[in-house]
Amino acid sequence: MAKRVLIVDDAIFMRNMIKDIFSGSGFEVVGEAANGLEAVEKYRDLRPDLTTMDIVMPFKSGIEATREIVKQDGKAVIVMCSALGQESLVMEAIEAGASDFIVKPFKSEDVLSVVKKVLGEA
Amino acid sequence: MALDLQRYLGLYVSEAGEHLAAFGRELVRLEQASPGAEQKEIVDTLFRHAHSVKGMSASMQLEGIASLAHRLEDLVAPFRADPARLDPAAVDLLLAASDALQGMVQEAATGLSPAADAALAGRLAEAGRRYRDRAAPPSAPSSPPAGAPAGPAPGDPASTATPVAATLAQPAEAPPSRGRALRRVQVEVEIAGSCPVPAVRGFLVVKKLGALGAVAQSKPSVDELRAGRIPGKKLAVLLDTAETLQAIERALAQISDLAGVVLREAEAERAPAPAPAAAGREAAAEGRRTVRVRTEFLDGFLDTVGELILATARIRELGRALPPAARPPLDEGVDRLHAIVKDLHDKVMRVRMTPLSLVTEQLPRAARDVARRLGKQVEVEIRGAEIELDRAILEELSDPVLHVLRNAVDHGIEAPHLRLLAGKPATGTISVSARRERDRVILDVADDGKGMDPERLRAAAVARGALRAEQAAELPDREALLLACLPGVSTAETVTDVSGRGVGLDAVKRTVEGVGGALEIDSAPGRGSRVTFRLPLTVAVQPVLLVRVGEEVLGVPIAKVHGAAQVTLSRLERSQGTPVIPHDGALVPVHDLARLLGFPGAAGDERAIVIADGGDPGRVGLAVDALLGQHEAVLKPLGEPLDHVPGLSAVTVLGNGRPVFILDVPRLLGS
Repeated sequence: MAKRVLIVDDAIFMRNMIKDIFSGSGFEVVGEAANGLEAVEKYRDLRPDLTTMDIVMPFKSGIEATREIVKQDGKAVIVMCSALGQESLVMEAIEAGASDFIVKPFKSEDVLSVVKKVLGEA
Repeated sequence: MALDLQRYLGLYVSEAGEHLAAFGRELVRLEQASPGAEQKEIVDTLFRHAHSVKGMSASMQLEGIASLAHRLEDLVAPFRADPARLDPAAVDLLLAASDALQGMVQEAATGLSPAADAALAGRLAEAGRRYRDRAAPPSAPSSPPAGAPAGPAPGDPASTATPVAATLAQPAEAPPSRGRALRRVQVEVEIAGSCPVPAVRGFLVVKKLGALGAVAQSKPSVDELRAGRIPGKKLAVLLDTAETLQAIERALAQISDLAGVVLREAEAERAPAPAPAAAGREAAAEGRRTVRVRTEFLDGFLDTVGELILATARIRELGRALPPAARPPLDEGVDRLHAIVKDLHDKVMRVRMTPLSLVTEQLPRAARDVARRLGKQVEVEIRGAEIELDRAILEELSDPVLHVLRNAVDHGIEAPHLRLLAGKPATGTISVSARRERDRVILDVADDGKGMDPERLRAAAVARGALRAEQAAELPDREALLLACLPGVSTAETVTDVSGRGVGLDAVKRTVEGVGGALEIDSAPGRGSRVTFRLPLTVAVQPVLLVRVGEEVLGVPIAKVHGAAQVTLSRLERSQGTPVIPHDGALVPVHDLARLLGFPGAAGDERAIVIADGGDPGRVGLAVDALLGQHEAVLKPLGEPLDHVPGLSAVTVLGNGRPVFILDVPRLLGS
């Protein structure tokens, strides 16, 4: 059964790229969000198995959204998507409850392997 | 499975472009913002935009852009703590960098991967160092200390968004207690060489272990990991836990990029759980739900709705051929269909309505650039930017309004010392304001500068030969001011490259009139000037039927079209030598449109006939090569000498850039 994924990033083309990585690899993209506020709402509605989360976004950051989502659902699996140079922010996100992280530019194999591992499927 | 990055290029270009445009606008706003909270908020926004461009570019593997954006981010970073330190020189550099980035993004759009300009990157890095060091304690002077790193260390406090808690936060779930005594486990982990951020990976390992027990010790320490230090990529953690070794191993198996994991039992010890850290800040704001639509789609909608209107009309026509008894239900159906299609048309037109801010948001930056170059001081006030106009008009207005603004800074606003002498504040004000008046939008660009002198304009026009002296003398002042719009008339003392050559205002006037609007100028010496754009809400759009005649495409206003038919010319009946075609119970004469226009003859026997209103002669049939469909034409007036050609009433431009002449059929026949 395909794992359900929520993609959060304020750039449309990033969401498209990540969506393409997941499609046809045993994952089903069930939703997208463009900022932290939408991310929390969509998580509540969709209860995905996995969420990919951008860090710097308007209205509410990925760190804040992670914090709120983890508060709602302690079992939430959230993978932060960061750029190089954002190390301290990633660590903040980890403290807020993120399960893992991937660094841009990412290769699709790397994304899938991180995600599969963190979901306990490797 | 390799990612084909080309698919995302279009979106990347538009999104990165928007971030950079916003960066430029915010920067101009920053210079005028009040110190304190407002400036801080703007600098944070600037940082976010630079950061987004960096991340996006890295994902697209556009290294040059990503690295320059990184430098931009580094230069903004020192100002987050103290925005007041931002001086005009820094703003100039930041603007130059964002412009360079815009250029690089445009290059990337063509498929290139541009390299960063080394000189610019160097200047940014150097400036970043300079501004960072100014923040250092008084003992450190302006020159950077020897051995300073070229870029920021990953854990550089200047690039951290918020102060981080000193201890790890308590995990959401308390570690399960099995009633067993806690024992101490030694966990040794090596981070894989391929991991780009081993310290972060190490941090994650410590955090995950912390969820299984209490971390008694970690080498390197959490603080060192935060600072990005993990010597030898090795991490050793002492964990007091009630979990089994297998459970810990399973948890570690879910972490990527670990090259080696060793678990060992060590001396058991009780340790208190770390205190939970306080939660972070709230950055709440309302999210707006909007959708991005490519402008070609909007144009496509309008075309399709136009086709619907035409198809509905054809059905109505066909209905007329039915026996009278069958007509009422069909008419009712067609009326309903027509009403729905009209509603759809209105909705599509509304979608095209765009706020003026599209044009006005570029103005403060443009004014600033011209002012700085000329050593003047200018402030731009904008009011009414939320007023909406048809997108097509707005797009035509962008350059004209920009030109008028530049004119105002260049020729209107005086140098600061002259203004002071005249009793004005040293900083000139240009106020751009828009308001609705029934079916028009009035846009004013006014300055408090030195104004224009109708007398000098009259003299310049006469000197240029545009008017005779007597005519000029008779012109009222209001019309004399419009002489500034004549090509070549410029009363500027020095012709600057900004807007002095006198070719600008005439183009502005033509463009405004081309969208169905009007331009007015009001001014008096010493009291400033006001240029007023009177604009229609929607464009003078006329549905036309496009036809092909040989190589040419022409348009016939739909309002004048009564029908169409497909015929074999040689088979048509003739009346006094002229082919005729039956239509609506009468015989309509058919003329070859190519011959009427004087085009080289061509075409075969199979033709399409457009039955149009020919004025006095009544209806006529125009034989063309093919009907190409309907088009919502933005009509533009013809200039010299085309406006002397009988039969052409206007010109429009198709989406593909092709100009199409609109026919005036009665005049064509009469010639």
